[in-house]
Amino acid sequence: MINAMIKWMQRYEGWVGAGGALCLLAGLYLSLVASPPDYYQGEVVRIMYIHVPLVQTAMLAYSVLFAGSLWYLWKRDPIVDNLCHAAAGISAFLTAAGLITGSIWAKPTWNTWWTWDARLVSFAVMFLILVGYLMLRTFVDDPEREARYAAVLAIVGFVDLPIVHFSVEWWRTLHQPLSISMRGVALSGEMLRPLIVMSIGFSALFVYLLMVRTQMLYLTRLLHAKKGRLLSHAHLSDLDT
Amino acid sequence: MSRLYLRWGLLISAVGVIAWLAAGYYTRHLVSVTPEAVVNGQLTGDLVRVQGMVEAGTLAGDVESGRVRFMLGGEDEAIPVRYDGPPPENLRELKTLVAIGRWEAADRVFLAHDLALVSNYGFVMGAYAIGLIPLGLFLFAMERRVGLLYREIKQSKLYEPEADQDVDAR
Repeated sequence: MINAMIKWMQRYEGWVGAGGALCLLAGLYLSLVASPPDYYQGEVVRIMYIHVPLVQTAMLAYSVLFAGSLWYLWKRDPIVDNLCHAAAGISAFLTAAGLITGSIWAKPTWNTWWTWDARLVSFAVMFLILVGYLMLRTFVDDPEREARYAAVLAIVGFVDLPIVHFSVEWWRTLHQPLSISMRGVALSGEMLRPLIVMSIGFSALFVYLLMVRTQMLYLTRLLHAKKGRLLSHAHLSDLDT
Repeated sequence: MSRLYLRWGLLISAVGVIAWLAAGYYTRHLVSVTPEAVVNGQLTGDLVRVQGMVEAGTLAGDVESGRVRFMLGGEDEAIPVRYDGPPPENLRELKTLVAIGRWEAADRVFLAHDLALVSNYGFVMGAYAIGLIPLGLFLFAMERRVGLLYREIKQSKLYEPEADQDVDAR
């Protein structure tokens, strides 16, 4: 039997994917063609429209991993474990992309690819936590123990997220402070529009990726389990004969 | 699986159109030439964008009023620039920038009406390519894997009720 959550994903993934693709295409047009260059940074400011949504979505993915891990430890539902595993893989991917695009943006603006800045270091730590999470999932043989240990690691690692977010407020950093905060929005409307459209597009893309990857992990587990069961049946029949 | 390839074909086409529009924008608004190309007469069109460095000790005039003169240097050549436009906010000696205007071959002076920052478009394209292409490949690989898994499950008839369940039902 296919899990009810997987059936729900199959039904709605097309709509989410199409919405995300349309938002991203509109966002790409706005950010690469329609938006103006910055007076101080020039054309390089266009990197913001891909770097910021990537980082935001990576943090959203980690938040989903955190919530899913709490849920798993409470209910011990294997499909939630698949969801967490999927969110971790996507978050690691987006974090790596966020680090690389940030580095590319840093070179023309700060004249360096990397600096030991609080925001950059805390974000790199988040990447290492996710890599550790994914490695842990390959090292433990027992699936139940693997899921439990991974959930605990994800919950402990969540402490890094507020540090990433508030690092530019708590310490003097080379990284610019928050452009959108309780104090207001420090961006012009022409720049805010592509940023919002790209952020919505990446968030929808993340939900779509999560749906696809969760299905992939669930189906792989289902196939292994059923094949194993069939093999053991065949083995028992051989023994009987 | 054919629907998967069709969907991805459409998506790649749409991204191709945006890349083409961006390349057009780049060619129209951002491509610049060197001072050497200006001196050698390798110009296309009336409006020219020249990228070079404002040479030390050559900036003269009133920056506040937007009427200044300076030498814009390249690798081997430097051209005199007469700027008359909005007060420039980023103009200073040893600054690399782009002067926008036309070349007066008879007077051998470049008449600029605007100044822009160096476009650095390679960094922008690099960031978008690194941000989007691996993500697209990652998603395509996952979608394809899911399609193959569903096919494998259906072909192996694993949807059928298992022997244990049948026994229980009976």
